[in-house]
Amino acid sequence: MIEERLRHFTNKKRATLLGVGPMSKNCIDATIDIANRYKIPIFLIASRRQIESEELGRGYVCGWSTEEFSKYVRKKDKHGQIVLSRDHGGPWQNPNEVAENMSLRDAMESAKRSFQVDIESGFDLIHIDPSIDIHSEPCLDEIVLRVFELYEFCSEVAKKCGKKILFEIGTEEQSDSNSSLDNFEYSVNKVISYCISNGLKPPTFVVGQTGSKVAEMKNIGTFGTALRVENEIPAEIQIPRVIEICKRNNIWLKEHNTDYLPDEVLAWHPKLSIHAANVAPEFGVAETIKFVSILKEKSFQTELDDFYKLSYNSLKWQKWVLPNTSCSMEDKATLCGHYVFNRPEFKDIKARVNSKLGSGLDLDKELRLAVERAIMRYVVNFKLLD
Amino acid sequence: MKTASIILNRNLPEVTEKLYETIVKNNPNNTDVFVIESGSDEEKLSKCTTWWANSPETMKNGLRFPRGFNYALSKLFEEKKFREYSSYFLVSNDSEFAENPFIATLQEELEEHPRVGILIPCSKSWGEKRIIGERRTRYFCYGEFISWFVRREFMEAIINYDPSDSKEFFFDGNNFRGYGCAEEMIAKGYANDWATAITTKVMMRENEEHLMTKADLIKTESINENMKKYIREGREWMKKKYGFNYRWSMQVYARIFYDKFFDMYPIYKDFRV
Repeated sequence: MIEERLRHFTNKKRATLLGVGPMSKNCIDATIDIANRYKIPIFLIASRRQIESEELGRGYVCGWSTEEFSKYVRKKDKHGQIVLSRDHGGPWQNPNEVAENMSLRDAMESAKRSFQVDIESGFDLIHIDPSIDIHSEPCLDEIVLRVFELYEFCSEVAKKCGKKILFEIGTEEQSDSNSSLDNFEYSVNKVISYCISNGLKPPTFVVGQTGSKVAEMKNIGTFGTALRVENEIPAEIQIPRVIEICKRNNIWLKEHNTDYLPDEVLAWHPKLSIHAANVAPEFGVAETIKFVSILKEKSFQTELDDFYKLSYNSLKWQKWVLPNTSCSMEDKATLCGHYVFNRPEFKDIKARVNSKLGSGLDLDKELRLAVERAIMRYVVNFKLLD
Repeated sequence: MKTASIILNRNLPEVTEKLYETIVKNNPNNTDVFVIESGSDEEKLSKCTTWWANSPETMKNGLRFPRGFNYALSKLFEEKKFREYSSYFLVSNDSEFAENPFIATLQEELEEHPRVGILIPCSKSWGEKRIIGERRTRYFCYGEFISWFVRREFMEAIINYDPSDSKEFFFDGNNFRGYGCAEEMIAKGYANDWATAITTKVMMRENEEHLMTKADLIKTESINENMKKYIREGREWMKKKYGFNYRWSMQVYARIFYDKFFDMYPIYKDFRV
């Protein structure tokens, strides 16, 4: 049903579908509003860090469990446009599994419990990504076996729940050499063959390397760069090869790390037959930038200092900065502001800001609008509108 | 038949002479080497200068690779030497090669691949080397100009000889700095049944240090300034000439002819990437 809807939509519009990371409540609300306002399907792609089941410790976004997140979205999504999606589900994708140094078996079981709640809570799309292993470097065949195990598990849960779900496989971490593209096709073939021989629905999407890569507040991959990136295969060569493999295997290409690509590159996505693309941190950063700009504009220096300190000290920026970065403390705090939105200290800062603003300015409305503007850039360039 | 190796220089005589010597020493019998001075100051002409382009505009801005090689090639044409060569090796002076008979290797490779019009030695810093693999030479519809080994028949298929103006002899010199120029030439090649190949049989290195540290000596902009202008002017050229607003348009344009080439010459499908 959902697949038919997506196929119908993309056949009609020749658009690239958009996946939005649920970076904050404002981001989730903005996504739902846009999807419903324009009647376009949008994926809300929750990582296990962002949204996790009650049992497995919840996520950092609003502190919501999978169950609460799903309930919230379904209630607000009046026209049923949101495609609830698990992004990078799999072993050790929840930080607790890493912190507890879980064995493979335990991490796989934990991943299954997470998937089970996803499906029972009504998720439409499950991305299976068992590429992380904190104990060893598994070979491709081992990873594929883990995909089979999780794929079969999710299919059984869906069957028991009477739900039809879509699957996404692959990871953006794969390299771009010839052998890696061979491996890419090999694993796609393996999974499809496995599905066919076991009576399972084959995956709808595969994550393919298109040359998009996010660091700081820019896309540093080959796709968005007018000049050659040293030691990288130019996107002009890489993308057609990935697309050809997808066409040959009748699977849709989903690009990850699309954030910050310039408009002209985004506008080429539908023409290049990139079926879907995920964007996440850019929307969190858009909200933070707006928050900071309001604080600056209103000269709320104490709150601004408190926010910078809170965000910077979270150290969540470390994941996003380049080696030898020239980012200032403020830049770093901006990069990871969304990670602290649910902290009590942030809620206190926000309450103080709201109190100072009085009825003159609806802070959350302003923040939501900033995220909306950022999302609309993709909606327009991906030709999702009529 | 011999190859005409043409080195483009601007105010870096020592670098040019070193490259000249590398070519001559390693390839004594199968190439003649020419040097085009692209508005170099008189005291910075290399010892091996063949032609000195020194109009006031050239002295001020240089010729850059499209106009520089056009100038040299049209001179060869004018001097009736053009047909003495079966191929032309167009080399920027910051290219570096290993000490071996690389011209012979490139000539042999061109013979091995009779429908290749442009043969590009792979740079050590290009990702393409990972996809070329054991075949050592594969056909691409994307490439970059640093040093190109060009077959005469291909060149003859597209040259525009105007004795009063060499600006469009081979490359489109209206695209001064040449952003998008390589893709255009590759498209022209495939449109005329000539492939562009990158080979790892001859590897090269572009020594960007010269541009990074000696921009003032060369009398050119800093590398960052140059890159900005390179992209901006190239995009303006692309828009004016083709109505293309972005590099992907040029790329898709080239790919159409690339795909058609393999329809016409299925025997080369194994060389497709």
